[in-house]
Amino acid sequence: MKNKILLSIIPAVAALIFTGCATDAHYVQTGDKEQIVSLGQINIQDYTSAASAAVKALLDSGAVDKVANPPALLEISRIVNNTGQQVDTDLLTKKISIALLQSGKAVTKIVDAKASGYQQENDFLNDRKSTRLPDFTLSGKIIETVERAGRTRRTTYTFQLSLNDPKAGVQVWEGEKEIGKQGTKDAVGF
Amino acid sequence: MKKIFCLGFAASLLLAVGCTTVNSVENAQKIGQRQRVEDKRVITDVNFSRKVAIVAVNSANTSGGLLKAQVELENRTGSLRRFLYSFEWFDADGMQVNSILSALLPEQIEGGESKFVSGLAPNSACKDFRMKLISAD
Repeated sequence: MKNKILLSIIPAVAALIFTGCATDAHYVQTGDKEQIVSLGQINIQDYTSAASAAVKALLDSGAVDKVANPPALLEISRIVNNTGQQVDTDLLTKKISIALLQSGKAVTKIVDAKASGYQQENDFLNDRKSTRLPDFTLSGKIIETVERAGRTRRTTYTFQLSLNDPKAGVQVWEGEKEIGKQGTKDAVGF
Repeated sequence: MKKIFCLGFAASLLLAVGCTTVNSVENAQKIGQRQRVEDKRVITDVNFSRKVAIVAVNSANTSGGLLKAQVELENRTGSLRRFLYSFEWFDADGMQVNSILSALLPEQIEGGESKFVSGLAPNSACKDFRMKLISAD
C-alpha cells in the first residue's frame, strides 16, 4: 500500500521539479537583477557600467568644454583589446559617443564612407580647402586579469580611456573603470 | 557537552566571517558644504530600506552647467549588501531625458558603511532628477 502511494507521488513531484527548473524565454532589461554574470567574458552590463562611468567622469571634468569653437569635434580612435576574447569595441564606444552627442558638448567625426564622400564633394564645389581637424580623439584599452584560488576564480576587466588633444599633443583626460567578477562558475543574478 | 561547545564555536566563527563592518574617520570641521535637497521618498521595499537607508541627497552644478546629484546611503546591518541604482533625469517641462547616464548600475555597500552614489545629468536642459534603488540580495 505504502509502495503504491510512493509510486504515484514520485512522478508528480518529479514533474513539478522539472517544470519549475525550465524557464520560458522572456524579455529582460539590461542590468536587471537577473543579469547573467560570466567569469570568462564581458557581459553587456559591463559595457554599460564602463561607458556610464567614462561619460560621467568626462563630462564632469569639463575637458570637452575647453575648445575654441564648441561643440568639440571628437574622433573615436583605437580601443585595444587586451583580453582573451573577441570584443566588438563599438559596444563601448558607441554608448560614449551617443551620450556625448546628447550632451551637446561634442560631435563626432563622420565615419560613414558615403557621408564623407559627400562632404569632400561639397568642400570641392565650394572651394573649401581646409577640413576641420578633430579637437580630440578618444582612445583606450580593455584589459583582462584572471586570478585563481582553488576553484574560485576572479576576473577583472579594466576599461582605460584617454581623451587626446592632437593639436597640443597632450592627453587632457584619462579615466579607468575596473569591473571585477568572482565565483566558481557563471551565474544568473547579481 | 564537547559537541555543543564545538558547534557553538564553529557557528560563532561563521558569523564573524560573514559580518564585516567599516570604521571610518573624517574631518570634524567640515570645509565643503553640501547643498542638501529636500527630498520625497517612496518606499515600497521596507525591508531593504531598513538595511540600506537613504541618509541625505545633495546637488550641485558642474563647471559646464550640468546638474549632478549625490545620495548618501548607509548600510545599517553588519553584512555586505548588493543593490542596483539608477538616476532618472527630467527637463524643465518634467519630461524624462533618457541616456546611458540613466542606466541601472550594480553597487555594493559593506556592513556599517556610509557610501555616496552620484549621477550626472545628460545635458544642461535637465533640471530635476529621481534616484531608484533596488535590492539585489
